[in-house]
Amino acid sequence: MFSQHSLLKRTMPMFIQAAEAHRKPRWLPVAKSKIYRIPKRPVISEDERLELLRLNNNYKTQMRAIRRFYSEDMIKEQESRQSASSEMSQRLEAEEWARCVELNEKWNLEVAKEREERRKLEIQAIEEHALKRIEADDLKLKERIAKASAEIKREKELSSTFITPETLEAAIEHALANPTDYNFAIDLKGNLYQGKETKIELVKEKDTRVNA
Amino acid sequence: MTSAVIKYVGRTTDFKGKTLWEIVGCLKNLGVGRIIVRSVFERYPETSFMKIVKVETCPDEERRRVRVWVEKTFRGKKLPNITEIYRTSYKPDYKLIPKNEEAKLLATVDKVHDYSNVVLPKIIEMPPLMKKFITKDHEKKGLEIMTDFTMPIRYNRSPNRVKRIAKGDEKPTVQFSMGLGTPASPSLYEGIQLS
Repeated sequence: MFSQHSLLKRTMPMFIQAAEAHRKPRWLPVAKSKIYRIPKRPVISEDERLELLRLNNNYKTQMRAIRRFYSEDMIKEQESRQSASSEMSQRLEAEEWARCVELNEKWNLEVAKEREERRKLEIQAIEEHALKRIEADDLKLKERIAKASAEIKREKELSSTFITPETLEAAIEHALANPTDYNFAIDLKGNLYQGKETKIELVKEKDTRVNA
Repeated sequence: MTSAVIKYVGRTTDFKGKTLWEIVGCLKNLGVGRIIVRSVFERYPETSFMKIVKVETCPDEERRRVRVWVEKTFRGKKLPNITEIYRTSYKPDYKLIPKNEEAKLLATVDKVHDYSNVVLPKIIEMPPLMKKFITKDHEKKGLEIMTDFTMPIRYNRSPNRVKRIAKGDEKPTVQFSMGLGTPASPSLYEGIQLS
């Protein structure tokens, strides 16, 4: 069927032989043909059972001891390594700390110098600002004084017309002699009628217009 | 609950008996004060049994289980603490001891324990290859060279422990070693030279 040549020249082998027989994947249930199969229990003679038990127990004891030995060994090694590394790291840390402190002091000095200069400028600015404010306040006060004095002048001039106890009688008499009536009325056309007792003649045209 | 005739189907099992709930659920006062036995413990020459102290039923989701507290006697030794049985209560491996046989069972407890005199060693000698490996390894790492090629044995700590472990400088009665040891059944080694 296949020539020797064609079989040998293939890149992939035509027949792949697996090392183990076909197995059911774990997630598949028991095969239909195997559901009711009851596997036979191995029959072991008492002699063999005892000997196998003894050998197995021996083996477990030995392996436990070896495992314990190596696990403890590993823990010991780890601890020693850790302690060594911790010493090293402590020294490194101390050096780093000293370096940091030195650098910090240097920075502090620089910052202090800058701060002094800045403070000087700031104080100067504050003084200037204060002076300016004082001048402005002075100016304002002067203005206010001038304003007040002008007011006083005006009031003094006005005081000649004030009613004093001496001129009270004369003022009353003057008021009685010249009564003033502030009442007035306004009609729809905007005509102003002064006084309370003033007679107003009604316009007849207006009435007729309303009736129509 | 259980029929009188038990018909086994499927794979064979080592268990023999009923689940704990099948026993306890049929008894007056849920069987408090009664004695039960697990049949797998009957393989030991000494008696093992359990006296029920307290029973708690389980919710419907756990209908095969029951929570039972017992005074446990394992291999002729009564354990100091009360044991709780819950995880293993579903195993169909429990047997109820009839009341007329209880006295007989209790009488066997006082019998002297078979293995009480055995003292287990604390150390074991290393296997030959390991000895060589360790000497080389220590040389390579610059550690001090080992002269005592022994290592401590690790035992499982359990209240059921029968054989005693040596304390301090006590001399053990048995020795473990790397190798075949003395066979339990020499008939299997006929015609073979055992060094």
